[in-house]
Amino acid sequence: MTGDGDRGRPDPGSGLEQEQSRLLRKALHHAGIRHGDLWLRYFSIGGTVGEYEVDAYIQSLMSLPPDQRDLIAHAANELIDEFPPLPRAPYLEDLIQ
Amino acid sequence: MAQQLPLDELSTVIARIQGLLLTEEKVHTAVRLLAQAAKESVPGTIGAGVSLLDARGRRTSSGYTDRIVSQADATQYECGEGPCLTAWATEEPVLVRDLTEESRWPEWRNAVAGLPVRSVVSAPLVAGKESIGALKLYAATPNTYDESSVILLQLFAAPAATLLSHIQASEAPHRMTQGLQASLYSRDVVNRACGVLMERLGISHEAALHRLIKQARDENTALQQISERVLAGTPAHGA
Repeated sequence: MTGDGDRGRPDPGSGLEQEQSRLLRKALHHAGIRHGDLWLRYFSIGGTVGEYEVDAYIQSLMSLPPDQRDLIAHAANELIDEFPPLPRAPYLEDLIQ
Repeated sequence: MAQQLPLDELSTVIARIQGLLLTEEKVHTAVRLLAQAAKESVPGTIGAGVSLLDARGRRTSSGYTDRIVSQADATQYECGEGPCLTAWATEEPVLVRDLTEESRWPEWRNAVAGLPVRSVVSAPLVAGKESIGALKLYAATPNTYDESSVILLQLFAAPAATLLSHIQASEAPHRMTQGLQASLYSRDVVNRACGVLMERLGISHEAALHRLIKQARDENTALQQISERVLAGTPAHGA
């Protein structure tokens, strides 16, 4: 699943970009976040790249500037943080109160 | 988070907002031309009019061929009753052969008693499933209109409604979904916070955004909250 980078430009960051989008893809998949929802959040926090391009970036088909990539990552993390946490086991003290 | 096709929706809304700036004039002209054509289509008609109404029955736009129509119509909206409002509300055409023998709309009939109006025919303007207004003809003599006038006016109303619904964009801002409004608002907050940091620290937009993201990450909060704090005047943390 590792991107082979054949479409990336020969800049030193291209391998990192591939890695960044691959792990983003993995995180989205794991959390079940749709690309459209991610784009909307990204747009809501100031993202400037269109939905189509963001989708292509998630699939490692297109290169985006580093600041936009971080903004996408942040949007994804905000959505992930909004999921209800897994239930925790109570201590006895919690039950008495 | 449950948004579908945000991009489509956004572009539609923007198209509508842009349309809004252009359409005031366009709707007005179209409505006037339509009224003129309707008047000429039925002999004996002394005046024709078109009213566009919003979802609550308030008039948003109207066009008349003659003053008499404007007077008779204004009275309908003042009284809150009349043939056009009935046509609009029921989405059925209304035929009044002789106003003096009519029992509906007592208040309106009383109010127009001094006007030379004896027969009325009105057809609703229905676009899709929505009733957007009514088309009406007034005549000074009784029995000017019959079932065939109703059919004719309805034939007129169908394409007119479609046309008008396309250029009528006055409700565009209300149709923005809450999700989209929230999205545009938060985007604005973030961008304003960037602007504040740019001015305060003399840095570029990218650097300002980078700072905000960094701080949101460090504190594990949403970018919007960090931005709101910046706007509220709490200084962004130094390092």
